[in-house]
Amino acid sequence: MFANMATGGIGASVRRPDGPAKVRGEFSYAGDLTAEGMLIGVTVRSPHPHARILGIDTTAARAMDGVHAVLTVDDVPGDRHFGLVLRDEPVLADGVVRYAGEPVAVVAAVDAATARRAARAVEVTYEVLPALTDPQLALTAASIHPDGNVYRHVSYSCGDPDARGVVTVENTYRIGMQDPAFLAPEAGLARPTPDGGVAIEVATQWLHSDQKQIGWATGLPPEKVHVSLAGVGGAFGGREDVTLQTHACLLALATGRPVKIEYTREESFLAHRQRHPGTIWLRHSADADGRIVSVEGRVLLDGGAYASTSPVVITNTVTLLQGPYRVDNGRFEGWSVRTNNPSCGAMRGFGVPQAAFAHEAQLDALAAALDLDPVEVRLTNALQRGDVATFGQRFDAPTPVREVIEGLRAIPLPTGPAKLPGGVGRAAEGGTVRRGVGWAVTMKNLAFSEGHVDESTAEVSLRDGHATVHTACAEVGQGFVTVAEQVARTVLGATTVEVVQPDTLVASAGSTSASRQTMASGTAVYRACLAVRDRLLGRVARAHGLDAATLTVADGVVCAAGRPLGPVATAAPGQTFRATEHFQHPATHPLGSAEGGMYVAFGFSAMRAVVDVDVELGLVSVVQVASCQDVGTVVNPVQLRGQIEGGIVQGMGLALMEEVVVADGLITNPDFQDYLIPTIVDVPEVVSTYVTDPEPGMPHGWKGVGEPPLVTAVPVVAAAVRAATGLPLPAVPIKPEHIALGIGAAPTVTWTTPRPADPDRPRGAVIDEEPHDAPGTMAEEGAPSG
Amino acid sequence: MSAVEDPRTDVAGGTDGADGSVTFGLTVDGTAHEVTARWDESLLTVLRDRLGVRGPKTGCAHGRCGACAVKADLGDGGHVLCACLVPAATAAGGTVETIASISGPDGALSDVQEAFLAEGAVQCGICTSGFVTAATELLETNPDPTRPEIEAALYGNLCRCTGYGRIVAAVETAARTRRAATR
Repeated sequence: MFANMATGGIGASVRRPDGPAKVRGEFSYAGDLTAEGMLIGVTVRSPHPHARILGIDTTAARAMDGVHAVLTVDDVPGDRHFGLVLRDEPVLADGVVRYAGEPVAVVAAVDAATARRAARAVEVTYEVLPALTDPQLALTAASIHPDGNVYRHVSYSCGDPDARGVVTVENTYRIGMQDPAFLAPEAGLARPTPDGGVAIEVATQWLHSDQKQIGWATGLPPEKVHVSLAGVGGAFGGREDVTLQTHACLLALATGRPVKIEYTREESFLAHRQRHPGTIWLRHSADADGRIVSVEGRVLLDGGAYASTSPVVITNTVTLLQGPYRVDNGRFEGWSVRTNNPSCGAMRGFGVPQAAFAHEAQLDALAAALDLDPVEVRLTNALQRGDVATFGQRFDAPTPVREVIEGLRAIPLPTGPAKLPGGVGRAAEGGTVRRGVGWAVTMKNLAFSEGHVDESTAEVSLRDGHATVHTACAEVGQGFVTVAEQVARTVLGATTVEVVQPDTLVASAGSTSASRQTMASGTAVYRACLAVRDRLLGRVARAHGLDAATLTVADGVVCAAGRPLGPVATAAPGQTFRATEHFQHPATHPLGSAEGGMYVAFGFSAMRAVVDVDVELGLVSVVQVASCQDVGTVVNPVQLRGQIEGGIVQGMGLALMEEVVVADGLITNPDFQDYLIPTIVDVPEVVSTYVTDPEPGMPHGWKGVGEPPLVTAVPVVAAAVRAATGLPLPAVPIKPEHIALGIGAAPTVTWTTPRPADPDRPRGAVIDEEPHDAPGTMAEEGAPSG
Repeated sequence: MSAVEDPRTDVAGGTDGADGSVTFGLTVDGTAHEVTARWDESLLTVLRDRLGVRGPKTGCAHGRCGACAVKADLGDGGHVLCACLVPAATAAGGTVETIASISGPDGALSDVQEAFLAEGAVQCGICTSGFVTAATELLETNPDPTRPEIEAALYGNLCRCTGYGRIVAAVETAARTRRAATR
C-alpha cells in the first residue's frame, strides 16, 4: 500500500483528475451544454396536488412565433408510463394529476423567454379533486391511482416478540422530508441522431436506467437511445429517477433539433424525489444490565404520488430498525404509501436515517431508564460477526461495532468556549447556553439488495503506459474518477490514466448510489486492469523468452522474479492491450427467502456530537462531531474524509434545519431562501477516525463509505441536543420552537415482569402476510405533528 | 419628459432598443464587449448565455448559493457579488472579473486554486468557482484570516458535498502559502 503512495495508487491522497478544470471554472456541467440550432424546453406543471384534466388547449402556444413543439401525453409514441421500480408514473399527465408540479405538457422554442411564454399559453382545464395528503389515511382512503395506495407492506417477526425484560420503553418518532438539494439544477441536452434515434447528454446517476425508460416512452430500441453523462453538480440520490430525460428526447425527436432543458431551483424541488418523511413507533424491552430482550417496530413512510423506489426504501427502514445491535426477538412492520404529496425516492441513506434516528433515541431511553451509561448499553448489545439479523441474514464479514465505539471513545472531548448558537443570524445576546454530548451507532446496508442485480462492466486499454478506463459509472462528485485512476496506476503501472466520460456504449454500471460504486465499478475496473496486465506480461514474456508466471508489475515497472526489467511504458512499444471485465456481487434475495441474505454488505459507524444550545431561543450550535467508521481499506484518505465530513453535514441538516414543508400538497419552501441547508458557519469541527478491516471478496478489501456518515449524524446531533436540554425531542428536524417550548412527548417507560423467549419459536425471520396492526394507530403515540 | 425620469438614460453609454432591450459596454475578464440584452436580464444570464462565459454557475438564481459569484466593479471600487442578483444593464461600463481571471497569466493555478485541489475542497465542483472567487477576495484584503473571518467571508457560498471542512482547510493553506511567498 505504501509503495503506491509515490505513484498515485491505492492508499494515496491522489488529487481528482477533474479538479484542475473545476477550480478554473472550465469543467463543463449539464447546465453549460449548448449546441448549434438548439431549442429550449420548458415544462408545464400542475398547480394542483390532485385534479382531473378536463382539457388541454395548446392552440395558442403552438401558434406563437418561435415555438417548435408543444407535446402532451397524446404525443408520447411509446409507453405512457415509466418508473424505477413500478411503472406507475405518466410521462406527461394522463387525464389526472397526482401531485403539485406534475408535468402536463412540454414546450420547445427558440429561446427560454419564448418557451416560458408558450408554456404559460398552454390552457389546461382542471377539475380539482380532494387531495390525499395524510399518509395515515392512505390505507382507508379511496385509491388515487389504479395501482392502489400501498407501495409495499412488509411484516415479519423473529424469535419470540413477546419476550420481555425488566424495562420496556416505547415512543413514536417523526422524520421530516429532506431535499437532496444538489447545487446544480437538473439539465440535459437531447439531439436526434441520423439513425432515427436520440442521444442525450444529461446529469444523471444511472445512465442505463435512463436509457431504458427513454426507450419505453419513445418506442425506440435501446441501441437507438444513446445516453452520455454531462458534468454532474451533486446528486445524493435525487438524480436516480428520470425527470427531464424523456421530455428532452421527445422534444428533440418531434422537432428534429437539439433541445436543452434546464430546471430552475423551484422546479428542481418540484421535480426530483425527496427523502421519505416517516413515522416510526418502536418498543424496546431490556434486562437490568441493558441487554435487549425484544424489539417491536412499525413504520409508515409517505411515498408521495408515484412509486419511485418506495417499495425498496420501506424494507431498508423496517429491517434496519434493529440497528447495529443483537436482537433475537422482534416483530417489525411497515408500509410505504401513496399520497398526493411530492414523490419520494432515493436519498443518501435510503430509508436508514429514519430507522437510525428512532433506534438510537430508544437506546438512550433504555440507558436513561436503567441509569446506565449510553455507551455501555451500546457495547453490551453490539453486533458481532456470526450473529444473525432479525431478517435472518448472518453477519459473516467483519462486524466491527465494538471497534467503532471503542475507537470513538479514544477521541478527546473538545474544551473551551465555542461560538454562540445562531451563527450570523443571531440578533440577541446569549441567554442560557447549555452544552450536551450525544452518542450514536448505526448500521447501513451497502450496495443493491433483495435480488436487485448489482453489477458493473469496465473496458480498459493500455498503450505505452497510457491507460484508458471506460465504464458507465456516473461521476457525481464522489470521486470515482480518482478511484479508477488509482486502480489503473496500481494494477497496470500506468503512467497516465484517462477515465472516459461514461455512456451507454459500455454495459450498465448500475446507479451511483447505495455506497456501491467503488465496490461494483471499482472491482470491474480492477478485474479489467488485471486482464490487461496479464496480456502485457504475456507479450513481454514471449519477447524475452521468460515464463509469464514470474512477471509482475510494481510501481510502474515490469519485474521478472522480483528484479526490474523495465518500465511498463516501454515494455511493448506501440502495442495496445485491451480487456473488458464484468463484476457482479453474490446474489441477494427478498426478505424471508430461504435461499440467502437480503444484503451484500454492511457499514458500521459511531459518532459523538457536542452541541451548545441556547435553550431560550432554541438555537443550536454543533461544536464537534467525532466519528469512527468501518471503511474497509482506505483507497484515498482525502476523498474519504470528504465523504465523512459531507455526510455529517447533510445529516446535521436533517437533524436541525432541513425540511421540505408541504401544506395541502404544496411545497411552501421550494428555494434556498426558505429551505435551509447548512452554511460554513453552521458546521462543526469534525474528527474522523477509522476501523479498516478489509471487506472480504473486494480487491484490496475496500468497501462503500458514502452513506453511513449521514445515517449516524442524524441521531447523534439529536442525542446531543436532548442531552443539553433534557427534552425528549422525538422529531427531526429539531426546530427552535421544539426546544424553546418543549414540544414532543417523552418515551413511555414501563417496568415489566421478565418473560423469557419461548424456546419453541423459530429463530429466523418469519414473514407475515397479514398486517398485525394499522398504521393509523401511530397518530396517538407521542411525537408532534409536522 | 414625464415626471419620473427614465433611469435607463443614465446608463453609461447605453442605448435603448425598440424591443425593450438595452445596449451597453461591459468588460469581462479583460475583454471589452458590447452587450445587447433585455433590461430585466441578470448579469449572470448575460455572462453565460450572451457572452458564453460559463465559469460563474447557476445554482439558485436567487442570491442564496453563491455559485455565480464574480468580482464586479460597477463604479464602486469592485467587490464580490452574486451575478444572478445584478440587472446586467446596471453594470453598464463596468468591469467584471470571473473565475477565469484568477489563474495566472500563463494559465498557472493561483495559490487558492492549488490549495482547493490539495486539500480536497472540490467534489462535484459546481460551487467551486464561487468559493475560489470569494476566498481570493478574502485573502486580498486579509492575508491572515481567523476561522470566524473565513466563515464570515464565505457564508454566502453553499456547498452540498464537502461539509466545508476541506474548504476552510484550503483557505488556511492558501493564506499560509501566500504569507510564506511574500515574507
